[in-house]
Amino acid sequence: MAAKVIEGFYYTQTDEWLKVEDNVGTVGITDYAQDKLGDIVYLEKTEKGKKVKQGETLTAIESVKAASDIYAPTSGEVIEVNEKVVEDNSIINKEPYGEGWIAKIKIENADELKNLMGAKEYSEYREE
Amino acid sequence: MKLIFEKSVKARDGYSLPKDLFDEVDIKSCIPAYAATDAKKALSEVSEVDVIRHFTKLSKFNYGVDDGLYPLGSCTMKYNPKVNEKLASLDNFVCAPPLAPEETVQGCLELMYDLNKLLCEVTGVDQYTMAPASGAHGELTGVLIMRQHFVDHDDKRHKMLVPDSAHGTNPASCTMGGFKMIEVRSNEKGTVDIKQLKDLMDEDTAGLYLTNPNTVGLYDEGIRDIEGIVHGKGGLLYYDGANLNASFGIMRPGDAGFDIVHLNLHKSFSTPHGGGGPGSGVIGVKKALIPYLPTPIVTFDGKKYHLSDVGEKSIGMVRAFWGNFAVLVKTYAWILSMGPDGLGNSSEASVINANYVLAKLKKYYRPAYDRYCGHECVLTGRDYKKYGIKTLDIAKRLMDYGFHPPTIYFPHFEPYAEETIMVEPPESESKEVLDEFIDAMIKISNEAKANPELLKSAPHNTRIRRVDDVLAAKRPILNYDDELKLKDELKYKDEDINF
Amino acid sequence: MRYIPNTEEQKKEMLKEIGVSSFEDLIESVPQGVRFKRKLNIPEAISEAELEEKIYQIAKKNSGFFLMKPLIGAGAYRHHVPEAEKFLLQREEFWTCYTPYQPELSQGTLQSMFEFQTYIARLTKMDVVIPSIYDGASATAEAALMSFRLTHRNKIIISSTLHPHYRKTVKTYIAPHEPEIVELPYKDGLVDIDKLEKLIDAGVASVIVQNPNFFGGIEDLAEICELVHAKGALLINAIAESMSLGGLRAPGEMGADIVAGEAQSFGMELNYGGPYNAYLATRKQFLRQLPGRIVGETVDADGKRVFVMTMRAREQDIRREKATSNICTNHGLNILAANIYLSLMGTEGLYKVSLLNTKAAHYLENLLLKSGKFERVFHYPFYNEFLLKSKNSVSTLSEKLLKNNFIPPLEIGKFYKEEGLKDVLLFAVTEILSRQDLNRVAEILAE
Repeated sequence: MAAKVIEGFYYTQTDEWLKVEDNVGTVGITDYAQDKLGDIVYLEKTEKGKKVKQGETLTAIESVKAASDIYAPTSGEVIEVNEKVVEDNSIINKEPYGEGWIAKIKIENADELKNLMGAKEYSEYREE
Repeated sequence: MKLIFEKSVKARDGYSLPKDLFDEVDIKSCIPAYAATDAKKALSEVSEVDVIRHFTKLSKFNYGVDDGLYPLGSCTMKYNPKVNEKLASLDNFVCAPPLAPEETVQGCLELMYDLNKLLCEVTGVDQYTMAPASGAHGELTGVLIMRQHFVDHDDKRHKMLVPDSAHGTNPASCTMGGFKMIEVRSNEKGTVDIKQLKDLMDEDTAGLYLTNPNTVGLYDEGIRDIEGIVHGKGGLLYYDGANLNASFGIMRPGDAGFDIVHLNLHKSFSTPHGGGGPGSGVIGVKKALIPYLPTPIVTFDGKKYHLSDVGEKSIGMVRAFWGNFAVLVKTYAWILSMGPDGLGNSSEASVINANYVLAKLKKYYRPAYDRYCGHECVLTGRDYKKYGIKTLDIAKRLMDYGFHPPTIYFPHFEPYAEETIMVEPPESESKEVLDEFIDAMIKISNEAKANPELLKSAPHNTRIRRVDDVLAAKRPILNYDDELKLKDELKYKDEDINF
Repeated sequence: MRYIPNTEEQKKEMLKEIGVSSFEDLIESVPQGVRFKRKLNIPEAISEAELEEKIYQIAKKNSGFFLMKPLIGAGAYRHHVPEAEKFLLQREEFWTCYTPYQPELSQGTLQSMFEFQTYIARLTKMDVVIPSIYDGASATAEAALMSFRLTHRNKIIISSTLHPHYRKTVKTYIAPHEPEIVELPYKDGLVDIDKLEKLIDAGVASVIVQNPNFFGGIEDLAEICELVHAKGALLINAIAESMSLGGLRAPGEMGADIVAGEAQSFGMELNYGGPYNAYLATRKQFLRQLPGRIVGETVDADGKRVFVMTMRAREQDIRREKATSNICTNHGLNILAANIYLSLMGTEGLYKVSLLNTKAAHYLENLLLKSGKFERVFHYPFYNEFLLKSKNSVSTLSEKLLKNNFIPPLEIGKFYKEEGLKDVLLFAVTEILSRQDLNRVAEILAE
């Protein structure tokens, strides 16, 4: 059963996606990740203003049977946080790529995007 | 079922106190204003009769080993001998204050001293501490001993190796001990990947945690290489004794090179699980590590037994007083009842039981590894995914056949140990019981294909149906007062509570 | 062997069905080099009757404790354990079952835990309760670790009137964090609040205060909390004698952030030191950092109100190396013991027995002071334990008491080496001692 991926997004090996628009990256977890987790019951609120490096922990997410860290796909400062998904975690399960976005990061170094996967690459990675 | 609070009647009581309550003593002169309170704390108000009925009824919602097979892998739910309960409840033990003068507790001390000797012989190490209260507590004690050993030798190490198949307490214990956990893969045979171990083991690594047989129920054939690699770089080898039931009379961890051993007395040594403890996780060490043990240990001077200080290199204490004494009594009694042949027979019978279940069920539930196992076997529910069936559904359906399900989803490491069903049928389970279990599992296998809905909505025949744990996590109600706050939202009907 | 049903015949049958000719084939992966080849050098199996005799003989080497009244507490208290409770605990459904991972088969255990969580929340006036850590000492240690995680600070102040074993345990648990540990001295039997004011700063994660303290002293927890909170630190209230919760002001009311309480007094026998059971109670906002199992309420597929272990993502089997603690098996059956005890005592009973302890203790202290053979070292309000300096030899005193079937009080010098506490005894009085007993004790000690 192939999980959904969106063309044009970047992906990490730890199942985060990054949508880049005007040097701002929107972060969320992939369809594969939300499916693996099951019903999400808790999302730690990302700190606005938090400065992260690519690969560092951004925040944490929990389901009944699993807990996971969410890692920053890119370095920068967190400039916006999606309050709605903190309130209602189920949005992440229902729309992981849309309304289920978690935070927006001001991209510090566009070169780092080279380290991420594209839609096809991620698809194959998760196909195994 | 109704809560005790919902059964309360104002002014009803169930206590017994002497008539003389020292009323002439003015309580206001005893308790300062800053600590005084006028309000009584609201507990329940029920009679002794109500209490007996309440808990008797509650007990009937449970399932114990005395009810039937409890094939939880890695838990060793074996028969709890009743005579051991009686002996642990002898007044001279039960009413002994832990700080009573040594000359008044020579019986307790003698028992602990003798038990130490027995455990050392059974496992091949030199000294046990009875302090740890559970396996995890033992692991913590062990990791702190390891840490102390390196600190004492001016050789501070930062990493600890833990197999991917390890029980979750292992990595958690490493973290509590201040080490960074490094995972070692399992190979395609299900045991430690020797090559990776060699690559990972270095002089900054304190050692390796190993369960043997491991959590997929397999004896590690590479144990001698493992020992060589870990000791070769000055590391220590820690034995997680949760699976000792497969090794009595076959292999002693001390002989295999382990430096520290923890035993789960509530597993291999037959003490009851009590709904989640109390157990005991005694820790045994080789001579070189004795100075680091928690203090005190029991010694004998030829005439009297003493609680003796371990010394200044001790890691300190991991709990108040000396150990879960009541659990030690039962362990002692069990070992004396089994003797050397009985212990060997335990392991033999349990290993045969597990392999029997594996042989009979492997074509219905593809095993994680198709090889002979130890005292537990790991099947999987992987092949039922295509019918929309999760392993959880199989477990819940098993309850309808009158069995407590095996351990599910643990161990979990891809690609072999996925959708796992870990079955441990200890030596106290008979062939007929196993045949019934096997029969039920085969029936369920057929149901999964022909009538998957039956599994997905299981259990049907238990006192309550499948529980919504997602709701519990999303809307935490963690005591009755939390429920009262949400009373209007919850809108329970009488039949929802009164059953 | 009566605990192993399968006969040699059956085992042979099973081996055949497995497809091997002997048991050896099943264990061939155990290398020969580590195989245990001799017989275990332990005594041959004895019969049930022989076993009973043997253990009875060992028990006889203890004193006849049932009829001996203890004047010693220091973290383990002899209270009356109701027979109804002991009877219920023996039900196999409670005794032989496992951790309630499958809620459909364990509502008995789960509902009982939920009820206990409710009792402790009410007794401590805190929001959330973890019903079981092994004991008061390890619970206090877990609380200390929790405070490091919550504040991201690495300094801790520990009261010198925290039970010596608890202190040692906390230090053992926190050692890998290499924190700065500051000792908080006592003054006149209670925490030295002036000193605390000087010691507390914004680098402190938490302050651990036992209340009632090791000397039995009742602390002004509200005042201590104010000082602690002013610097953004947490107050950990360790409790060794939970009976005090029945009659004294609740820690939650006085500002405690985490309560680490030994519940042994609620229906658990002394058992030479264990097993007991401790609870951790805290404020709602700290819930996710709590170690250990917690039970929550939910519904089943038919809408029935049921209970289940919840907030599991904190625990070791899910979080592994990032878990809040490694705790797995706790002291489950003792949660039930405490729950049944509190249900039997009820609102009225617990209040009465709690204050009875205090009154009886004061009655004895009075008698002993009147005898002229004892004097106070400190002047502090106490719950059910108190310090008195003996004018006579302490060992003679202990001998006399033992001869008369009383277990002597603790010689505080065993734990506190300061000159001022030489020949000082820590007396404990519970409802087990009647007025006659106390009169007799005073008589013996006045000789």
